[in-house]
Amino acid sequence: MEIAAEDLTDGIAKVVLRGRFDTTGAVQVELPFNRIVTEQRKVLVDLSAVSFLTSYAIRVLLIGAKIVNSKNGKLVILCPDGKVAKVLKTAGVDALIPVYVAESAAIEALRL
Amino acid sequence: MTAMSGSDPRRLVLGNHLAELNRLAVWIEGWAQESVSPDVSLALQLCLEEAVANIIMYGAIDGGLEIAVELERRGQTLIARIEDNGRPFDPTQKPPPRLATTLKDAKIGNLGIYLARSFASHMDYERRQGRNRLTLRFDEPQAASPQP
Repeated sequence: MEIAAEDLTDGIAKVVLRGRFDTTGAVQVELPFNRIVTEQRKVLVDLSAVSFLTSYAIRVLLIGAKIVNSKNGKLVILCPDGKVAKVLKTAGVDALIPVYVAESAAIEALRL
Repeated sequence: MTAMSGSDPRRLVLGNHLAELNRLAVWIEGWAQESVSPDVSLALQLCLEEAVANIIMYGAIDGGLEIAVELERRGQTLIARIEDNGRPFDPTQKPPPRLATTLKDAKIGNLGIYLARSFASHMDYERRQGRNRLTLRFDEPQAASPQP
């Protein structure tokens, strides 16, 4: 599991996750992910390159979104993959964190 | 301790370490490539990972824990059996979590068993001779039938 961050315009931090976001993958990225959400107020989490996702990954995403929200910030998810999106939807995550299939829409939501 | 699975490709024995989940994932991947639909492949990977991770994280009584996973194909259905010698735990009796509607109200955790129950076609549990025995059934979409 890999994690990379890049700064977009308008103070938006894009976090790109790559690989299996399963229990062991989530444990690997948990600390660097928490560091980013602690420092940023507009976070786009890109799951485009994530092939699989489990409940521990959802835990990491929810904690991250709560941290950003506690600073009056916003965290959104970019997730065009059907399998990953199906797990997020079944867990009810899409009702708690905005999920977009297009990066332009995700960035637009963070600019508002 | 990681026990050997022997020569039976339908059975995998895992020890009490989260790293064992990587071995489980590789093993399931092999099964998922054998004429399994994308839906069943996802359900199989998700349910076994959630169930085994739960046992590894919460099941150990005195540190010693052995988990055996077996897969069997019956026509258009895959049957998975997970046996462990950890503390008794019946996931079929665990009430589903109340899914929050706002991030502020969202509780962290308790989603793994819920996801496994949602993605498996059927889940059955029994405690036998000091071991938990969880049976999961995965029906191919065209073979889906009402619960018995």
